Amino acid sequence: MTAEITLSAPDTDEILRYMGMPPEKADDATRSLAVQCGQQLLSVAAPRWCGQIFELSFEAGGVRLDGGLLLGGLELKAHLDGCTRAMVFCATLGADADALIRRAQYTDMTQALALDCAAGALVEQLCDRIEGYIHTQYPGLHSPYRYSPGYGDLPLGVQCALLDLLDAHRLIGLSATDSCILTPRKSVTAILGLSDSPAPAHRRSCVLCPNTGNCQLRKSGGHCGI
Amino acid sequence: MEFNTLLASNTPVLLDGGMGTMLQAKGLVAGQHPELAALEHPDWLEDIHRAYVDAGSQIISANTFGANRLKLANMGKTVAEVVPASIAVARKAAGDRALVALDIGPVGQLLEPTGILPFEQAVDIFKETVICGVEAGVDLIFIETMADLQEARAALIAAREVCDLPVMVSMTFEERGRTFLGCPPAAAALTLEGLGAAAIGVNCSLGPKQLLPIIEELSRWTSLPLILKPNAGLPDPAGGGYDITPAQFAETLAPATQLGVKLLGGCCGTTPEYIALLSKAVQGRTVRANTTPIPAAVCSGTRAVPIDRVRVIGERINPTGKKLMKEALLRQDVDFMVRQALEQTEAGADILDINVGLPGVDEVDMMCRTVKAVQAVTDAPLQIDSTDPAVVEQALRLYCGKAIVNSVNGDEESLSSLLPIVKKYGAAVVGLTLDKSGIPQTAQARLDIARRIVAAAESHGIPRRDIIIDCLTLTASAQQECAAETLKALHLVKQELGVKTALGVSNISFGLPLRPQVNQNFLTMAMVYGLDLPIINPNAAAMMAAVRSYHLLMNVDTDAREYIAAYGGQTAPAAPTPEGGSRSLDEVVRLGLKGEAAPAVRLLLEQGAAPMDIVNNTLIPALDAVGADFEAGRQFLPQLIQSAGAAQAAFEVLRAHLSAAGQAPDRSNIVVVATVKGDIHDIGKNILKVLLENYGCTVIDLGKDVAPEAVVSAVRRHNAALVGLSALMTTTLPAMADTIKLLRTESLPCKIMVGGAVLTADYAAAIGADFYAKDAKAGVDVARKVFAQN
Repeated sequence: MTAEITLSAPDTDEILRYMGMPPEKADDATRSLAVQCGQQLLSVAAPRWCGQIFELSFEAGGVRLDGGLLLGGLELKAHLDGCTRAMVFCATLGADADALIRRAQYTDMTQALALDCAAGALVEQLCDRIEGYIHTQYPGLHSPYRYSPGYGDLPLGVQCALLDLLDAHRLIGLSATDSCILTPRKSVTAILGLSDSPAPAHRRSCVLCPNTGNCQLRKSGGHCGI
Repeated sequence: MEFNTLLASNTPVLLDGGMGTMLQAKGLVAGQHPELAALEHPDWLEDIHRAYVDAGSQIISANTFGANRLKLANMGKTVAEVVPASIAVARKAAGDRALVALDIGPVGQLLEPTGILPFEQAVDIFKETVICGVEAGVDLIFIETMADLQEARAALIAAREVCDLPVMVSMTFEERGRTFLGCPPAAAALTLEGLGAAAIGVNCSLGPKQLLPIIEELSRWTSLPLILKPNAGLPDPAGGGYDITPAQFAETLAPATQLGVKLLGGCCGTTPEYIALLSKAVQGRTVRANTTPIPAAVCSGTRAVPIDRVRVIGERINPTGKKLMKEALLRQDVDFMVRQALEQTEAGADILDINVGLPGVDEVDMMCRTVKAVQAVTDAPLQIDSTDPAVVEQALRLYCGKAIVNSVNGDEESLSSLLPIVKKYGAAVVGLTLDKSGIPQTAQARLDIARRIVAAAESHGIPRRDIIIDCLTLTASAQQECAAETLKALHLVKQELGVKTALGVSNISFGLPLRPQVNQNFLTMAMVYGLDLPIINPNAAAMMAAVRSYHLLMNVDTDAREYIAAYGGQTAPAAPTPEGGSRSLDEVVRLGLKGEAAPAVRLLLEQGAAPMDIVNNTLIPALDAVGADFEAGRQFLPQLIQSAGAAQAAFEVLRAHLSAAGQAPDRSNIVVVATVKGDIHDIGKNILKVLLENYGCTVIDLGKDVAPEAVVSAVRRHNAALVGLSALMTTTLPAMADTIKLLRTESLPCKIMVGGAVLTADYAAAIGADFYAKDAKAGVDVARKVFAQN
């Protein structure tokens, strides 16, 4: 599955938070830098995504997709409890976003940081919009928050297998290194469970998010909307 | 039947169609590897190949698209197991009715700079597949579905270096007319034809209708036969299929012969039925010969620059007469070169000359590092400036695009050593009108040498459009009569030989007062005499003004758009930036006002302050104050980096001042920094680097994805007292541990600090680091502690 997704300028406060700057304390110069970098990043980003729907089967060691790939670990299994299917998707802002950030690092490191953070905010926006689109295709279904390799006990190593499964290299130019780092860098792979009934509230809050300790957004007072 | 015989006629040649969808139809389930079909389901594969031959395919692609060692390793197989088996099946199905191509797709990982796979490693991976395919007896090689020009280059170079078989290369474009990695058809055509492809084209991603404009654009930049292999339309949003029927496909694709498309077939979603109908649809059609002259042009991987007007070559990356550049080369400061590159393209340079030759510098190594770094941040084509064949060859190999080689001269040895390399990599070349006896005085004698150079280049197969002649500027103060002679030679060369011309301009005014006005006037005169490629300093406003005025006056700059874009709203030539605000250096650094740093520090120097006093009494205390505010939560990361940026600008002025006074810059307090093997998240490390430099450290930055051995060797070579390692992913922490272990095993007397998002102090201690730095500021504190002890 894919569809054209149009992005808009990323939220300035979110860029500031990613930059380690509490929005309410931001001086005018930093705020306008964040706005500018958001616009600049938006102008070079080439958002693309592809996804597929899979039937889930729950096993002792994890969750299996369409009787094929096993996503190991107990946390994802618990997270998807109640879901019969999942949309597995990957998304990227493309190589030009990386190039813009790379270039800025030679001339102005503050700008580079702001661009990097704007890209982080933009790729989240892209995922939110993809998720919105998926729900228009599966009306009436509910989802726990989207889950990615590297969260909790789902190994990052599964990233490469997911890209293969989705034919991501050919369809959207996305691949991973030997260490399972996505390239282009401003990219995401995600698993979005689909269920007939709403997920319990605790699975929609930060408390159970496996990233809760490390989350930059949370540290600077933000919330990703889970 | 031979490939070349097929190409020689003017009738269309039929390729085959999709393989993946056909295998799925046979029963291959999701998660099974199509690459292994020859081993697991040879009968299915043979059926499919045969169906294509029956449908009319004259060339079929063996099922080797993903048969490279990187991909096969994940399936527990080797190239030697898969490639010959796949070719044998194809050969059996083809009999003597069709040719069999070794099919080569992307390796599946991205090359540098977007990914981390080094170019030479990609070449090596492709070579293994090609050698295996050639031994198994394929008729030709088909490199296809490439989105990265650099990867297509790697495969093509690999193929050309291990065999003489014809190589077809096809890339995949999005509807915006570029590949995923930003390569336009023009850059693909210029580069791949230069490297010796037998045919080039477009496949996959879109249907025939959407690919027609793209193949049309491609045809403007090449005289090679064209390939077109579209998908069966666009993906059907509802399911996994595609949206056009075999009849629609054939009907839309067949007229492409009018655009010069010689080799036609299908990609994803197409079946033997599509090919059979296509075969009928092209019956009786002839392929229009591509006779449009190809423009003289050079390109990077993302931009083609036709030499159809004056194009400025930026001359700044060259140590001749530049003290700071020499020092940068000696300390292997590639970042310095990159900043020079960005400054020049910002000022309007179209092409960048790169010269890193200096006694005491390993020119091959430095040239490769500079080319790699510069092409990662700019889309301006490069001019490789060296006369050493080894330097030129390594640089051209790495360069993603069509470069210019600067230069050969009329001397036989120069021509015979460099021209074969220029030809092999498809570069353009500058020929200087001099030889063993020096620079001739007269225009006629220079024309004679130019004629010799052109003849030699053409005898090596280099087309005339890729030959650029430089008639050489001599200093007017020493040989006044020669200025006019150079212009005359320029005119003669242009008129008699019809080649493009280049000229280094600034040399004209050496030894004269007010050099810029002499340079500007000479440049204008030279352009009138036919100069295409002035090699100048684009940062000199008067020089760019001359070029823009020339384009305006010659009606090249339509409606004066470019002129007005550059100068609109100005009533007088831009005055130099006013020197200095009223703020003190201390204030400038605290507020992070980068633009005011240089004037503020210059003012202090004029007042007689000693550079080291400025560092110790003003810069460091100001940075300390910002650092303390950061720790106390009164200031935040962006502000800390702003202040560091301002301090860095001040340091640059001090460095230039010291250098002009003949004082060696301080080379103590050496820190080696690196993002560990496998990791590419380096922004934190780069922030640390800026801060460390502010505190007087000499930072040796090894970049990202750095092997433990490289860290060890840099620490040893530079005798570094401190190493900073960063890693951002759980998967790359083991590489950090390995690096520390190797440093310890080698008993290097350095301290090690580590940082990165997933690290903790406990983990840092467990892997044997001396220090854990939670952020860049903490990293600076560690460095100060370490160097205070030394």
